[in-house]
Amino acid sequence: MTFDVKIKKWHAVASWTWNAGDDVCGICRMPFDGCPPDGKYPGDDSPVVWGVCTHAFHLQCINRWLQSQAEQKCPFCRRQWEFKQAAVGGEDSD
Amino acid sequence: MPIDLGRVQKEIRDIDRDKASGVTIEVQGNSVQKLIGCLKGPRDTPFDGGIFYVNIELDDQYPFVPPKMRFITKVWHPNISSANGAICLDILKDQWSPALTLKTALLSLQALLSSPQPDDPQDAVVARQYMGSLAEYEATARQWTQTYAHAQQVVGLEAKVQQIVEMGFGREQALAALKRANGDENGAMEILLGA
Repeated sequence: MTFDVKIKKWHAVASWTWNAGDDVCGICRMPFDGCPPDGKYPGDDSPVVWGVCTHAFHLQCINRWLQSQAEQKCPFCRRQWEFKQAAVGGEDSD
Repeated sequence: MPIDLGRVQKEIRDIDRDKASGVTIEVQGNSVQKLIGCLKGPRDTPFDGGIFYVNIELDDQYPFVPPKMRFITKVWHPNISSANGAICLDILKDQWSPALTLKTALLSLQALLSSPQPDDPQDAVVARQYMGSLAEYEATARQWTQTYAHAQQVVGLEAKVQQIVEMGFGREQALAALKRANGDENGAMEILLGA
């Protein structure tokens, strides 16, 4: 016996998350999947960035810190801060 | 830009929840930018048995600038001014990082009580005594702890705090003023009315 099924309508549901290990930003203490205090929308509007030292922060948060400092150091390990290049082609960046 | 309220409130909650840390914090009045921290004197130091209050002020830029901290309780220590409680500690100055918190700062103060750094003094007189005669330093520090920071003295304070609260002042405000006036009610009232 076979059924003839006709799909009239469907809803796609997707979830996303930053692959950032630790769940909150070490500067604003808000989840990476949420917004920093001056961000309006999560996701592309509140991007997460990594340093070559592997520590991650919201872009807005680390930028504000680096701009206030003469020496560019990671807030966690105090190593020289350098942005890690984003991995291309779906490679994990942490 | 106004202060990051979310982070500060989260920090206060974290300190309240962690009963084992030995440090507490209370908001002073309506704004979370004025707080009073409290830490216990570390064991096996001249500060053992003492309860030390710290005045904390947060700038609008916090956590991108360090919290301003100053001992309310009088302390005899090379890195703390015996006159006004000013603290010389690198993380409260150029070594601050936004990854640090009020809790880690208060714990660092506790650690500072355990290990004075006389090479970088805040109070030259205390530092000289520490370097010249450790026994004498420890005796003075212990005596100051007993006089200004002793738990019994703090319990005695409670009644005075109540009296001032009944006059319409905030609890933390009353406590801060009493601490600054070394427990003298009249002195505390003068501070409160003058402020």
